[in-house]
Amino acid sequence: MAQRVHHFKLVLLGDTAVGKSCLVVRFVRDEFFEFQEPTIGAAFLTQTVQLDESTVKFEIWDTAGQERYRSLAPMYYRGASAAVIVYDITNPDSFNGAKSWVKELQRRGDPNVVIALAGNKADLESRRKVEFEEANAYAEENGILHLETSAKNANNVKALFVEIAKKLPKNPPQPEREAFPIAAPQQTTNNCC
Amino acid sequence: MADGTPQWAVPPEQQQHRQQQAQQRPDYAAQRPPAAQAAPTAPPQAPPSGGAAVVSPPPSAGAPKVNKFNRIAQMEEKVLVTRTRDEETEDGRLVNKEAMTKIRDAWVYKRVRSRVREFTSYRQALCFVGTWNVNAKGKEESLDEWICADWGQNGQYAPDVVAVGFQEIVDLNAVNVAVDNKTQQRSQFWVERLNATLNSPSRTQNDPNRGYILMMQRSMVGLLICLFVKNPHRQRVKAVSADSVGVGVMGMMGNKGGVAIRLNFYDSTLCFVCAHMAAHRENVVGRNADFMNVLSKATFDVGEQTVRENIRNGSLSQWALGSGSLGIADHDMVFWLGDLNYRIDESLPTETVLLLAERGAIDKLRTLDQLNIERSEGRVFEGFEEGILSFVPTYKYQPGTDKFEQRPEKKLRAPAWCDRILWSAQEPAYVQQLTYKRSERPNCSDHKPVYSTLRFTVKDVNAQRRESIYKELFALLERYDNRSLPAISLDKSELNFGEVRYNQSVTLSLRIANTGPSCASYRFVPKIDESTLSKSWMSVFPTYGMLVPGEQPGVVTVTVTIDNNTAKLLNAGREVLKDTLILRLENGREYYVSIKGTFARSCFGMSLDQLVLYKDPIHTIALDAIQRAEQFPNENEVSPSNALCIPKELWRLVDAMYEKGLSTPDLFTNHGNPEEVVIIREALDSGSAFGVFSIHSYAEAFTSFLTSLSAPVIPTTVFPNTEINAENIQAMTRRLLEELPPIHYNVLVYIISFFREVLLHSEKNHLTAAKLAHICLKHCAPADVVMDSAMMQRRAGMSLILIHLLVTSSI
Ligand SMILES: Nc1nc2c(ncn2[C@@H]2O[C@H](COP(=O)(O)OP(=O)(O)OP(=O)(O)O)[C@@H](O)[C@H]2O)c(=O)[nH]1
Ligand SMILES: [Mg+2]
Repeated sequence: MAQRVHHFKLVLLGDTAVGKSCLVVRFVRDEFFEFQEPTIGAAFLTQTVQLDESTVKFEIWDTAGQERYRSLAPMYYRGASAAVIVYDITNPDSFNGAKSWVKELQRRGDPNVVIALAGNKADLESRRKVEFEEANAYAEENGILHLETSAKNANNVKALFVEIAKKLPKNPPQPEREAFPIAAPQQTTNNCC
Repeated sequence: MADGTPQWAVPPEQQQHRQQQAQQRPDYAAQRPPAAQAAPTAPPQAPPSGGAAVVSPPPSAGAPKVNKFNRIAQMEEKVLVTRTRDEETEDGRLVNKEAMTKIRDAWVYKRVRSRVREFTSYRQALCFVGTWNVNAKGKEESLDEWICADWGQNGQYAPDVVAVGFQEIVDLNAVNVAVDNKTQQRSQFWVERLNATLNSPSRTQNDPNRGYILMMQRSMVGLLICLFVKNPHRQRVKAVSADSVGVGVMGMMGNKGGVAIRLNFYDSTLCFVCAHMAAHRENVVGRNADFMNVLSKATFDVGEQTVRENIRNGSLSQWALGSGSLGIADHDMVFWLGDLNYRIDESLPTETVLLLAERGAIDKLRTLDQLNIERSEGRVFEGFEEGILSFVPTYKYQPGTDKFEQRPEKKLRAPAWCDRILWSAQEPAYVQQLTYKRSERPNCSDHKPVYSTLRFTVKDVNAQRRESIYKELFALLERYDNRSLPAISLDKSELNFGEVRYNQSVTLSLRIANTGPSCASYRFVPKIDESTLSKSWMSVFPTYGMLVPGEQPGVVTVTVTIDNNTAKLLNAGREVLKDTLILRLENGREYYVSIKGTFARSCFGMSLDQLVLYKDPIHTIALDAIQRAEQFPNENEVSPSNALCIPKELWRLVDAMYEKGLSTPDLFTNHGNPEEVVIIREALDSGSAFGVFSIHSYAEAFTSFLTSLSAPVIPTTVFPNTEINAENIQAMTRRLLEELPPIHYNVLVYIISFFREVLLHSEKNHLTAAKLAHICLKHCAPADVVMDSAMMQRRAGMSLILIHLLVTSSI
């Protein structure tokens, strides 16, 4: 049976240097650059997630986290079906930043937007400043997903997007396309000898 | 080598000699002479302890002879399989991203592998491999002669890694095979024996750096493998993992099969397999099958992280990505040891074999060794190497003696080289066998122990350098990647205009280069919910463009202009020179360009009430409201005590015109020199003296100063709202003067007085009261662009009042 491909717009938000671009690069190309430059603009990438039942194609906008570009973010989260709000577990300010992104999104984003809170740089356990429990409780209160990720060692990165993909509604009227253009030949059970 | 001297201790010339001998040997094995290929010329050096010898990598001996079960080899041979199906794009093309990614990954991996030397340093280490079928025996007999045979007199050649395999540590009876209960206890016995041997105080001399630590042991019925490393290397051993594969009874029981341990040693990946393969002289096929089964079934669950790390170091194909396990062949080096059970070809009668073995006629026997035959036919151990068998067959001995088993009550068996050590290396030159021998002690078993010391090259990766090579490769790919995705680069992400002055335009440029392989169409777009590309004080040209690959960069100019309106907003702190331009690349990403500048404050564009507060030049007055509040605490309450009666700038301009003489023809009608006007304005702002300028320039500075004021001298609210006639003009004039705010009153009176002075020279300067009233109205009450007729009438009335003021002495 041909699988359906569901397209979803996803936006990454969060303070600068929390690792948004690294997460996307890890997810899309399975790469990691220690010296990832700050994003000055917005990068567009796509990546597909294979679920048991369906294929989800994310159209990802990686935004600029620097404060001076903050006012430009609505351009990207407007109309987004999903948002990943990233903070850095070694930086409490970035967690506060993440909370304010959650608020902004709840107030001004799409009412059905699926939000995931990602505590990135989880590989830096020794420098942790934001406890998992604290962030998790906050996420639960707000009814959003929460995972700790590491773009560096790839931990939970794929899982993050898979979790989101699972939560997204896959019923029509999602625009759908056949993943396999040539339909499989009709299996007519014809018992002739 | 009868004296037991390790081969590396032999002078090079002699080694040369031995090499020739080896090559003259007509037998099969000579095509793979062991240490002969690259004779060691220097004593081996241990990696980190003492001197940390960094050596240059051994030369790559042509195309590496890779094991075809290795994933690197697979990468080239296998048909590309994808889990996802092809997708159709909107324009009807078929794409499969997974396939694209895999092909690309393979390319990256090939490139990285060809450059491993750039991020890897190489060290030499020694590895001891031993195997012994103990025949379920084992008493407190010394293992020194076997395990420590190659250590040298003072232990100077003590190995860095020790891997020892045993077979038949328990009797292979049905109970043991099914229950596996004695194995634990026997394993412990042998591990402790090894531990005691390696760490005997006479060897370590209590120097912890000379001791060994057990990294892992693994057993299955009669099989046991133990791995030790020398203490100093412990920190550089990672991802140690073991597996066992039973291929015995029913193809799965543990009476036959293999146990294996793998590890990352520094950044090399090593795997040791201890196997006990099918017995009986005629069962060559069974042994070959056992090899294949163990090779293909053993898996090590090391986790994705380790797999990824190995890939990045160039030890493993990129295609293994995402998998969390490794197979035996997925290693830099594999050592295969054990009772492989290969015998002498059945064409030779048992008695003859026995005779030849007893006489030490091993040259003859070697050519008939089943393993040698099978390997030369390519039926087993493909990609593996073995040293020349230069020792007498190790099986089957009468236990406790050095005689082949010939007791009448026992079945007569043809001696054989059952016990073997082979290796396979992705880079053949990275392993050199130094010794391959059997040991005469211990002799409690019907097999003699076999051992080999091998020198191997260890990789030590500089992760940072490695990452930069990946980065470089991906940057290269990025450029060629996905031809449908355009790419541009901007030479700056910020345009800093520095200090921008009143009425000034500053232009900076931005260069846009097409760095992609396809046409790049770009345009500046407004921010969300906005209709203009930028703030009103800035203009961009051109706002869109296209570049074909290789075309000269496109230049976009950005101009910042401080007009009167902007100055008013800036002075009032309601605007700052900061903005972001958004450049959108069609079908690509977006780029931001930050615009910033500071406004050099000017007396132009300010209000009279503010100007009278500042006795100092305006340049010294902070624009920032908070700083200014500190400088001028009473800013909001203008009173004669803290303020000037008119702005000093106005006074300076009028004074300059006085001095020039007011009889200049066409005063206030002719334009000034624009450059002089700018300099005059700067002088007003900075407080410096005027130069020598035309009176027309002063006059223009004067009128434009009035026009620029953020609140006009005569607000429209005080315009008369009844028609002016001879009767009411007096009263209306008075009313106007009363209604004017205090400083505005001062300024208007000052201007009228000055104009009256000007009128005294009307014969020469051709000015009349009506003309001056018009000039005064034009600059003291700038007209709105759109005006209704009522307002026009009020302006006309205002004009009459001004004439009245100029010709009478009503002030
Ligand atoms: N240790 C560790 N470092 C990380 C991880 N992810 C990102 N980093 C580091 O953090 C730096 C910033 O990451 P970016 O991805 O550029 O951050 P960003 O959120 O995109 O920042 P902006 O583009 O300015 O918004 C990178 O240079 C990485 O070295 C991670 O998971 N672990
Ligand atoms: Mg970024």
